[in-house]
Amino acid sequence: MATFIKNELKIRHDFDPKTKRHYDNGVLTVRHCHHYSSLYSQLAIDANETELLKDSASEAFREILSDYYEKNNITAIADKAELACRQFAAMGLGTMKILNINEHSGEVELLSSHTDEGWKKKWGVYDKPINYIGAGYIEAVFEVILDSPPKSFLAEETQSIAMGAETSKFKVIRR
Amino acid sequence: MAIDREKIIEQMSQIEIVPDENGIIEGFNVLVNQLPAKFWNTFADRLISKADEDMVEAKEYLLYNAAHECGYHTGYGIITSEEWDAIVAPMIEKAPEDVLYGAYAVFTAWGWADSEIVELVPGEKMVVRAYDYYESDHVKYGKSSRMAAYMIAGVSSAFMELAYAGEYDPKGSLIGKYECKQTKGIEAGDSYGEFVVTKA
Repeated sequence: MATFIKNELKIRHDFDPKTKRHYDNGVLTVRHCHHYSSLYSQLAIDANETELLKDSASEAFREILSDYYEKNNITAIADKAELACRQFAAMGLGTMKILNINEHSGEVELLSSHTDEGWKKKWGVYDKPINYIGAGYIEAVFEVILDSPPKSFLAEETQSIAMGAETSKFKVIRR
Repeated sequence: MAIDREKIIEQMSQIEIVPDENGIIEGFNVLVNQLPAKFWNTFADRLISKADEDMVEAKEYLLYNAAHECGYHTGYGIITSEEWDAIVAPMIEKAPEDVLYGAYAVFTAWGWADSEIVELVPGEKMVVRAYDYYESDHVKYGKSSRMAAYMIAGVSSAFMELAYAGEYDPKGSLIGKYECKQTKGIEAGDSYGEFVVTKA
């Protein structure tokens, strides 16, 4: 008997030979390296624009998640959560484990993280959390899964791989 | 010049970039991410548009510099990769010029910009044209008074450094030997973007 894996993430990749652009599931994507993501994170910290970096991430990722759930008729919260973790990994951002999603709060752990490991590779251990891109993704996950408008949730990093911890942890609360 | 740009683009663009079991993509001596272009554009556009006028130039430099460093290290990773050796290296007749021409074919294949070198004075000057690039996408109507292809400009400086500034330094001490000025931009109403790299 064939098994239908409902939470298998399906990604259709297209390269447009005319414009030379890459699309994943119809979304324009671009490949960059950890130097770029680390320098954007550092820039945001220096310019006091970490919320902007997080919001930019959240807005972009909301579209990917909501579009995917809608087109693939994903309705169960457990399936949505599992697919969100797989999408995070597919983008090369690391291994995400959603510990719980409550109506007004939640907890997320990153077992590995491109942003943190890239930072450490470039500059070594830091004295503050730096993963605003990941935090933006987590806020988008909670907002989309709980059918809430943008900026409904706040993800705060409480433990950081970039600071030397084995995993990163995020506390999520409804704003 | 034996660089077959179309062949490089066709083959390099089809290389599948897949994360490992930890959701991490290692390749070209760097960690790679594949994020929506909208994320990068949104941050850059809002960072500049909300800045006080006297801070705009400084913030633009930071965006340019991010790409400059990225381009230096990732560019080196690309030209020393197995994929480069298999596809581009056999076409190289004259280094480092052919390396540069090949690098822009890879640059294009990666989706950074449909770009090519239109003028190259070895060690002195390089002019690059980009006919399509995601950094112009934030302009939805009309034309911007500000050119905003910081990524293309930064990476172009880096590519000149890799070609002419000396042996690659993992610590990046040669970054800044060249600089790039964007002279035309699709976002500013031109039909293509143009980037002029010279010694700093």
